[in-house]
Amino acid sequence: MTFSSSYLFSLTTFIYLGAAALYLTHWIFRVQKVGLLATVVTVGGLVIQTVGLGLRWIESYQLGYGHAPLSNLYESMVFFSWITVLVYLIIEWQVKRRVIGAFATPFASLAMAYASFSPNVEDEIQPLIPALKSNWLIAHVVTCFLGYASFAVACGLGIMYLFKNRFSGASEGIIGVMPDCKVLDELMHQTIIFGFLWLTLGIITGAVWANDAWGTYWSWDPKETWSLITWFVYATALHARFVRGWAGRRIAYLSIVGFVAVMFTYFGVNFLLSGLHSYGSQ
Amino acid sequence: MKTSSSTYQDTSIWRFFASVRLAVFLLITLAITSIVGTVIPQGESLQFYLETFGPNFFRIIKLLHLYDTYHSWWYLILLGLFSTNLVVCTLKRLPFTLKLYRRDNLSVDSGRLLKMPFKKEWEIKEELDNDSTQSIISAFKEVVGKFRERSDVDGGKLFLAERGKWSYWGVYGLHGSILIIFFGALVGLFLGFKGSVMLPEGEKIDQIVNRQSGEHIPLGFSVRCDRFYISFYDNGAPQEYRSDLTVLNDDKEVFHKSIVVNDPMEYRGVTFYQASYRAIPEVTVQVAKSATLHRSLTISAFQRALWPEEQLSFGLMQYQPNVHGKPAAQIWVGDQEGREGSFWLLKGNKKEFKKGENLYKISLTNAKQRYLTGLQVKKDPGVWIVWLGCTVLIVGFAIVFWVPHRRMWLWMGRRKGKITVILSGQTNKNKLQFEKDIKKIEKALDSSLGARQ
Repeated sequence: MTFSSSYLFSLTTFIYLGAAALYLTHWIFRVQKVGLLATVVTVGGLVIQTVGLGLRWIESYQLGYGHAPLSNLYESMVFFSWITVLVYLIIEWQVKRRVIGAFATPFASLAMAYASFSPNVEDEIQPLIPALKSNWLIAHVVTCFLGYASFAVACGLGIMYLFKNRFSGASEGIIGVMPDCKVLDELMHQTIIFGFLWLTLGIITGAVWANDAWGTYWSWDPKETWSLITWFVYATALHARFVRGWAGRRIAYLSIVGFVAVMFTYFGVNFLLSGLHSYGSQ
Repeated sequence: MKTSSSTYQDTSIWRFFASVRLAVFLLITLAITSIVGTVIPQGESLQFYLETFGPNFFRIIKLLHLYDTYHSWWYLILLGLFSTNLVVCTLKRLPFTLKLYRRDNLSVDSGRLLKMPFKKEWEIKEELDNDSTQSIISAFKEVVGKFRERSDVDGGKLFLAERGKWSYWGVYGLHGSILIIFFGALVGLFLGFKGSVMLPEGEKIDQIVNRQSGEHIPLGFSVRCDRFYISFYDNGAPQEYRSDLTVLNDDKEVFHKSIVVNDPMEYRGVTFYQASYRAIPEVTVQVAKSATLHRSLTISAFQRALWPEEQLSFGLMQYQPNVHGKPAAQIWVGDQEGREGSFWLLKGNKKEFKKGENLYKISLTNAKQRYLTGLQVKKDPGVWIVWLGCTVLIVGFAIVFWVPHRRMWLWMGRRKGKITVILSGQTNKNKLQFEKDIKKIEKALDSSLGARQ
């Protein structure tokens, strides 16, 4: 196999699967060195994937199409996985806890595995259809996916919170090594704030683009509506902190429900509903 | 004023609309109910819903306007409640924010300072001379930059560095932005219009049909489509749709622009978007009554071509671009008395037809595709208000979550009979960075005061 972007992406798939396994091992068996190895492997995977993305961009120019690798489902999933790993690594670096990796890297490896192996996903570089030929493509996709990736991490944190909260007595074992509920709650809140800002920017850039392309900034297309539904869910999570008795567990549930809405906005709309965004399903 | 405000703020309806609980309830309700319109197809004919969903479910759809969910009465009520909630919350919080904003943080005593989340106290044996006072102040200044001071506060001297007090207003920007966006949408709804037009190459329009009301809206100028182009990639996918448009004012050409998808044309607040296209066949026929009396006619689909002197009209019923390698057309012919007939013509072949007493010879001389460009036409004076709202939303969001209100105090004076230096501080966001900064001052003070304790 030649040195091509698809080769690098297949490699990335296995590296991320390995990293997820290492993070899980680190968490369950509490071996510090495995944790360090997991981080090294993840960073290595991210570098290879970054090169892959750059290469795919170059390849599209060689084919005479010339567009950023953000134009179809395959490319968006590769990008989703890339940006999830990036957001996770930033959080790991900030809070110095590797346990979160066991809940975040699986999202990235699953996205890569689905993109690479599903027969439904076309992985060839395709030319841009007229509707996608816009400078807003990059801004819109990058902002949306920064939001999606943050919400993936926040969902991981929400699951951790529920585990930790359920077995709050455990000071040892696999629950014991998780950060405290208070820390998890704060991290989840910060991650949701970060994701919410990007989702909002994603919706706004989408509106500006739609105004240029379709002549209306909001047309209640299912993709738009579902992004708004997602926005409502996370807006609820941000306001719920101010309602007595809602902090903690309920926000953890909202974080998980929110990510289900994200996934539906991303996939469900393309496969189950029809609308203007249908090019995302090819 | 005071009494009246306290009475209306005590009513239960006011408290209901001012609660965050209502906001959370409305957000969840909007999230759930918005799903409906993505599952049920929107904007179809009533017949469609009856056939698809059956009579029982159809009654619900009709009652709740589920064929146009997001403009239904109950959805608009939800949005209205949401807006009311926003406004009342804002009004309720305003006095507290004003109080916070106007509060003089220099009028505190040393006891309050020692109750702050961050505090450090040094008790010193001997009186501070001018030089050491100056070195303490400069250590404070090095980290905080600008500060204010007041002497004779609780028997000492107080220094205050305060940052980001204005950030309390961010939340009003954030919430107000939603109302600005709603307002922009209403302006567009009432003062703008949306329509579409299929414009054949070479023809012009000076009015638009409003999509909602069906009214004709005069543009005040006209737009001509000079040419439409379509190009494809090697794999057959469309590469570009392009229309060359000319704006005419009183039949004088004002300017040209080629529009493509994502690059519309704007003139006098009206925007023209490339939306779709259609290709219609156009054939040219040669009709002859005798060797000297003949006519060449161009017949477009959906249009009649006339030979008035002979009282004949021609139409194109069907078109086949390739029959045995040649184009073929089914031509319709009618006359004044209502007699009509049709026949197939293959390019190059001649046919004869009779109308009344006369015999005509007809042949197909040319056939081609003629394009119609599909333009979306829109006027929306509210769009800039919406963009303003979006900008305020983002800026407000950043202020609410990332601009902290920070206060750092330095007090030097006599407390419980001892010469005391107090460093204390408070922030409402980003405690980590705040602690880093104030620890820097603490360290500097430690090194200059440590020996004197």
